[in-house]
Amino acid sequence: MSEEQATSPDDKVGTATGEELPPELQAPPEEVVAVLAEDMHVATGTREPILQSSGVSMVFGGLRALNDVTFSLGEGEIIGLIGPNGAGKTTFFNCLTGLYSPTSGQVTLRGKAMPKDPARVTQAGVARTFQNIRLFPSMTAMENVLVGRHVRMKQGPLSSLLHGPRFRKSEAEAHDRAEKLLAFVGLGRFSDELARNLPYGDQRRLEIARALATDPSVLLLDEPTAGMNAQETEATRQLIFAIRDLGVSVVVIEHDTKFIFTLCDRVLVLVQGELLVEGSPDEVRGDPRVVEAYLGAPPEEIEAQIHAGATTGSGTGGSGLQEGSTG
Amino acid sequence: MTAVTEAPPASTPETAPPRHTGRLAGLLGALAPRARLLGIVGGVVAILGSQLPWATFVLNQGAYPELATLPFGFTGFRLHLVILGLATIVVAAVRVPAANRIVRNLGIGIVAVAVINGLYITVEGGGLGAITAADGAVAFGSVVALIGGVLAILGSAAGGVEPRPELDWNLPLWVEWLLLVVIFVLMLLVVAAALTSGGQGGVVNPYSGAVFLSFLGAAGGAFAGLNASGLLGYVATLSERHRVFSVIVLLIVALGLPLTSAGTEYWMTVASNIGVYAATAIGLNIVVGLAGLLDLGYVAFLGIGAFVAANLSGATASAVGIHLPFVLVMVISAVVAGIFGAIVGSPTLRVRGDYLAIVTLAFGEIFVRSAQNNIGGLTGGANAIPNIPAVAVGDFRFNESITIGSVQLPSGVMYYVLIVLLVAGVMLVFGNLKNSRLGRAWIAIREDEDAASAMGIRTGPIKILAFLLGATLAGLAGAFFAHKTGVVAYDSFRFLESVTLLSAVILGGMGTIPGAVLGASILFVLPEKLREFSDYRLLIFGLALVLIMRFRPQGIVADKHRRAELAEEPEDAAKEAPGPLPTRVEP
Ligand SMILES: Nc1ncnc2c1ncn2[C@@H]1O[C@H](COP(=O)(O)OP(=O)(O)O)[C@@H](O)[C@H]1O
Ligand SMILES: [Mg+2]
Repeated sequence: MSEEQATSPDDKVGTATGEELPPELQAPPEEVVAVLAEDMHVATGTREPILQSSGVSMVFGGLRALNDVTFSLGEGEIIGLIGPNGAGKTTFFNCLTGLYSPTSGQVTLRGKAMPKDPARVTQAGVARTFQNIRLFPSMTAMENVLVGRHVRMKQGPLSSLLHGPRFRKSEAEAHDRAEKLLAFVGLGRFSDELARNLPYGDQRRLEIARALATDPSVLLLDEPTAGMNAQETEATRQLIFAIRDLGVSVVVIEHDTKFIFTLCDRVLVLVQGELLVEGSPDEVRGDPRVVEAYLGAPPEEIEAQIHAGATTGSGTGGSGLQEGSTG
Repeated sequence: MTAVTEAPPASTPETAPPRHTGRLAGLLGALAPRARLLGIVGGVVAILGSQLPWATFVLNQGAYPELATLPFGFTGFRLHLVILGLATIVVAAVRVPAANRIVRNLGIGIVAVAVINGLYITVEGGGLGAITAADGAVAFGSVVALIGGVLAILGSAAGGVEPRPELDWNLPLWVEWLLLVVIFVLMLLVVAAALTSGGQGGVVNPYSGAVFLSFLGAAGGAFAGLNASGLLGYVATLSERHRVFSVIVLLIVALGLPLTSAGTEYWMTVASNIGVYAATAIGLNIVVGLAGLLDLGYVAFLGIGAFVAANLSGATASAVGIHLPFVLVMVISAVVAGIFGAIVGSPTLRVRGDYLAIVTLAFGEIFVRSAQNNIGGLTGGANAIPNIPAVAVGDFRFNESITIGSVQLPSGVMYYVLIVLLVAGVMLVFGNLKNSRLGRAWIAIREDEDAASAMGIRTGPIKILAFLLGATLAGLAGAFFAHKTGVVAYDSFRFLESVTLLSAVILGGMGTIPGAVLGASILFVLPEKLREFSDYRLLIFGLALVLIMRFRPQGIVADKHRRAELAEEPEDAAKEAPGPLPTRVEP
């Protein structure tokens, strides 16, 4: 998965201006969002803390990958997690989702202790994507999303064996939802394509659809735009806003500061396993420690980058939420 | 991975310009304008070869089949060569779609027949003199036929092998149904011919092994030719379109085997044994093909089922002196095997991959040793458990022959019917499981276990369930096996049997039902047919496996997923794409 792989025929530079986007890069159609929101019936925007960690540390041998990380994600919030390579961002996701059990500290979901194994974490309503895409490569796009429905399908082994009326009902429901989700992420046309044959950007979107199929209340995205061009990145930003509008709270790891600052309600900066700064995009982008520790570039340059980002505008309802989240 | 190429629309198969590299390049380039002629000449030469003498003298064990020392003959392998040769001529002359591809495959069939018979006569006759010239007699049949086959292959290579066309016609429903019925009946006749070709072997026909291999070569070439023409693909499309109809017809047709030339007690027994291993292989296919867990001791579950059934059958040698009805015995055998399956599968909670394979290998070994030592008096040790009574319904015993009207069906026909139904049931179980929440979870685990558990799949229990269900199916087959053969000995469940079953699954095509059945048939008919080569049996077996894995790594019947994964030729990948989509092909 290297840079050149992101190059595809629809990869044109300077696309943001009024050109007709291919269907998979357009914001999800409103009808689809409406039916999905009804299907998923996740609570919206109360800002109650939903996912919290307190004092989470993770030690690998002599390496302290995470040190005393405390954070809280509110319902309907989009949080950005940034930091240099090796800062411990992915490790933090792994601790949240039960892939690693933290050396010390607690993770709670709606006030209750998070289960210890990844399958139960997903069952409890936390879904994720992976930094290195981890699709099921020789299953079709549709089958990948159907696997995501696993936890929500009412179909025991006996019913799987006998294919009775209840089986057919649960399969029909799952297929229906999977179709909607594929349309939602812009992959409706590719439902019978093997995951391995999809272009890189589509694979990332498919991974998001698969995670959404588990009906999560929290979605953790690990570098969802890595390797994407400007156009695809913008489409992903719209997609994440749409996901938030479905009532799913989101944490995004990303290197692209422009992307993060125009997307998130709140930004956390992780450096060498420690939460260095936390605040609104405005606060974070102005913080000299961030500039020094993470961005490592003279402030003027970053200013320029940020202004460029601000003019692209924030998507559906994004700016309204940003105001409320300061502090 | 994401280089995107626009494939040509499926309806207009491009004629790939021949890519000739290396030393052959010059030759093939020069032959290109003569490609068609070469095909025709190859066919003619093959027919000519079939009509020449094939052996210069009569072999020690008697005349080689089809009067090989004499010219002219339209039977046996000679007939096969004439048919393949004629087909080659017609295809090359008429230029049907994908003509070169068809000619290549027919040519391979011709070469196979020539080489198998020629090699056999050479080895048996003690030198090349047997197939060329000796003592004033000349017999260049095999050499000429070989040249014919090679010419045809050369011609097709020079002309450039086309992608396989995708055929579909808009036919009325009844025509499609009729086609399916005709094709399935033809398939049955081919199966019967394959089974009986060369006879029972040993005493009856000293050359049965060679005759059988030659038949396989010819049939393989013919099938490959049909496949290249897209006709087999069309049949697959048709049977997919009328799935329920096809399944019912197939079942009825399979039950018709006793009415064909294979309708003797001997072939009923062979077919029943194939059925036992086919059912077991389908069970193993759940574990290996779907869930991706390597099990090297799987035949133990067949053994457990067989021993449980033997003990409950009322056999005098059994430690448990009770006689339960057959249906109940089957259920108990399946359940007991399933329980052992779950136990053997439980290490999957901790170990993965190679380590799991070692655990299953150890289990298989423990089972054989325990059975050998007559553990708990349940297995009879070296004496086995003999004299297991036949299944009986009322007064009728399943090993007797039956007469319906004027038709006398061979003894063992009821066992054959029973195993056909059993295999059909096992297929149904496998197919249903594969297309369900559980089946998808297994495949997801095979693809990426960590990602599967991140999707909420409780991988531990689900993997154990794969072992449990796979073992249950093997247990069922074991109960049938005990009653059919009447003897259960530890000997039948050795490591080699596990390896053969695993080979059947991989050879036939992982994760597919026809694949497991086909693999089991080939691997368990071969030893039966190749008795006279018993010294070379494993060698031939291994060679066949190596060849298939080299030229068709996805197995004979490819799973739609694996096909794309392993396909060497881009058109196979292109086939996966739904119509209007730009096809993405990995570079
Ligand atoms: N399983 C592991 N074993 C040992 N070290 C690990 C493991 N996972 C991550 N690390 C280390 O923890 C640090 C943080 O890694 P990671 O979380 O992947 O960083 P980021 O995602 O911020 O780039 C790195 O130094 C990495 O080598
Ligand atoms: Mg990372």
